[in-house]
Amino acid sequence: MVARKSGSEKLKGLFGLKISGIAPELEASGIKYFCGDQRLMDPEEVADISLEFESLVVSLLGSKDPTDLQSPEFHALEFFFGSLSQQVLMRGGHVEDVVRYTQSLQLGLIDALSKASGIAFSESRTVLLYFTGIFNELIMAVFRAYLEERESTMQAQQAEIRETATPITEIWDGVLTLPIIGTLDSSRTMLVMEALLNRIAKDHAKAVVMDLTGVKSIDSQVSHHLIQMVRAVQLMGSDAIITGIHPEIARALVSLNIDFNNITTRASMSDGLKEAFSRMGITVSH
Amino acid sequence: MSIPGLHLTQIGRGDFLLDPSKSLNTRNSGQLIEAIAARLLQAHAVRLYYDLSDQSLIDPVYYAWLDMLARAMQAINVRMICIQMQPTAAFALSRFLQEKPQFETALDIDGWR
Repeated sequence: MVARKSGSEKLKGLFGLKISGIAPELEASGIKYFCGDQRLMDPEEVADISLEFESLVVSLLGSKDPTDLQSPEFHALEFFFGSLSQQVLMRGGHVEDVVRYTQSLQLGLIDALSKASGIAFSESRTVLLYFTGIFNELIMAVFRAYLEERESTMQAQQAEIRETATPITEIWDGVLTLPIIGTLDSSRTMLVMEALLNRIAKDHAKAVVMDLTGVKSIDSQVSHHLIQMVRAVQLMGSDAIITGIHPEIARALVSLNIDFNNITTRASMSDGLKEAFSRMGITVSH
Repeated sequence: MSIPGLHLTQIGRGDFLLDPSKSLNTRNSGQLIEAIAARLLQAHAVRLYYDLSDQSLIDPVYYAWLDMLARAMQAINVRMICIQMQPTAAFALSRFLQEKPQFETALDIDGWR
């Protein structure tokens, strides 16, 4: 039989509870949201997280001030949900799965506590408000973990795109090739230049062949960036060879008054490589 | 030879290595150049390798010092080669450099040879 008590008495009763063995009742939420078609978790894993959750809830309710959202016990609970969120996302789950699981867990927990204690917590506005406050914060932790995960995924993807956009290859000992494809704007030039200069230092490259075959148009700013890149390569003590300049680009460079006096150019990438090899004393024969 | 803020070492017949330290004060460029030139002339130097490996940034002030030293070296018929320029320094220098520098550059001494 369920006892009749006031809201604050029920809350006190809740904090004074000696809880144990409610984990199996909490598993239903996990099974529902994580063991469905997507198979995000095994039932054994759900049992484990339910046990861990039970232990964290017991710690929180038994702590000095269970309403304190800055307590170590509450932070441990937040961390648990953050890690769970990351785990589910990494396995291809959605943030909605974790949020619905968390909401379902809230109802499951109140039911389990009522059954275990014989107190009707679900009828107490004070208790419901307490749990709503706690679980709202936990849902926030789930979203924070989701956003962090998404941010790091995006950063990793951007880094990958940057790397593939500047495929610097050591084609021979001390000879680097850099095919430039698409549009060269200020930010991309900076990235290309940074990657190239670091690579020269790392590989001790004596020559760099920059191929512009994939560059269809050039303007004043881009040509300035290009010259700057060549100059930086030369300052490091490497030879810069530019290849694959289209007739339209050549005409544009002339009209932009770009000085190509100290810059070695060759018609094609293969000519550029021959030039690089010959400067290194390597003869290429058919 | 000890020049304040610089280590000048003979590394071969006619070759010298100039290794600047953190305490280098380029405000005294005139006196520094005089001391370096005197030593190089005395040893009949042909080449001066200027080690930039510890210089992560070359700003216009530092570049002015390098330019002045390179011009002085030209005057006494010594080739000045800056070696081991760092990527960050090359990047910074390439942004404000308007013409070909008075000194030559190489990855390192072996790279030059």
